[in-house]
Amino acid sequence: MDQFITVLQLYWSFLKIGFTSFGGLSMIPLITSEMLGHGWMVASEISDIVAIAEMTPGPLGLNCATFAGLKAAGLIGSAAANLGALTPSFTLCLVGAVFFEKFKRSTIMQKILVGVRPACIAMVIGVICTLSMSNYVTAAGISPVAIIISIVDITLLRFAKLGIPTVIIISAVIGILVYGVLGI
Amino acid sequence: MKIESDNIDPSKEKATPETSVEKTNIPRSSLKTLFFDFIKFGLFTFGGGWSIVAQMQKIYVEERKEISSQELLDLTSVGRSLPGTMIGNIAVLFGYSRQGVPGSLICLFGMVLPPFLVLLVVASCYTAFRSNYWVASAMSGIRCAVVPIIISAAFNMVKGAFKFKPCYLITLVCVILYLVFDVNCVYLVILGAVCGILISEIYERRRGD
Repeated sequence: MDQFITVLQLYWSFLKIGFTSFGGLSMIPLITSEMLGHGWMVASEISDIVAIAEMTPGPLGLNCATFAGLKAAGLIGSAAANLGALTPSFTLCLVGAVFFEKFKRSTIMQKILVGVRPACIAMVIGVICTLSMSNYVTAAGISPVAIIISIVDITLLRFAKLGIPTVIIISAVIGILVYGVLGI
Repeated sequence: MKIESDNIDPSKEKATPETSVEKTNIPRSSLKTLFFDFIKFGLFTFGGGWSIVAQMQKIYVEERKEISSQELLDLTSVGRSLPGTMIGNIAVLFGYSRQGVPGSLICLFGMVLPPFLVLLVVASCYTAFRSNYWVASAMSGIRCAVVPIIISAAFNMVKGAFKFKPCYLITLVCVILYLVFDVNCVYLVILGAVCGILISEIYERRRGD
């Protein structure tokens, strides 16, 4: 019975997190207060999970949900927390999808999209800048090795036309060789 | 799109993607293809939601030519401005545009499954995983791939995104708002929408003269 209540609480917590956040790191403060409030995690575990979430595939919010759910109520808790975090996607966003498909070719929507597309390009540029800052600039300054690996990657993507999964695997191997074996 | 076709106004027939002129001969991915595509996307989505957009650009825009890069940008903008995880929203929006409600659920489920399973395994030995030297080296390598993946997709997404010259200004202003003033993406999309209407109206009137 206790476990059942915990599962419901997990669903409810991540439902709230899902509906009040817009993805990415903006979820962290909300997740922190929910996890500490229920005593599901301690503060050091939260920084651990953020590190783990960045090391494993998938979005940060869902990875936190899986981890927190698992800790609080096992596999079912994990599934419930994920379901909670995804509820906005298959309710609100599904309604959004229905409307968008219906109206995307209407004149007014076409006009709106003329301005929204450049705004979206701006977000991509913004994300590239923020990620570059965290990936290439370390405490010791700019990392030339990381930049060289990235140039190799961009060559593989643009000129060798390799697929994204292949490039990720190649980068992991380069990482093991350069950072692991050579110890740079 | 059967769900829609019953109650659709015939005067707005263009609203159903099926009747769109430019892609009548390009088949939509089936549910099964979508499911396996999104499993693959889920497995290789590192560094936030944008790398899934990059993967979709590569598969659906460049390889299968099923949607245009503008359409992908549109889905991304809508997905980014609704609450919830961005890639969950994009999966739902894209899945719905291909195969209706079943498509959206299949895409969402396919995308969520790999990270869920990976994390279940990792969580059971997470202290060992976190401090493992070889895992850390591999991750440092993967981190270097994230920015190139997004840049490479951005090159292709830029095509056709700027219909009129002032659109470049929207991008410039939004980049500054995003990076310097830390403005939420929802407001950027709203700002873009308002500017879009204004710019389109101005250009339409000029053409009318």
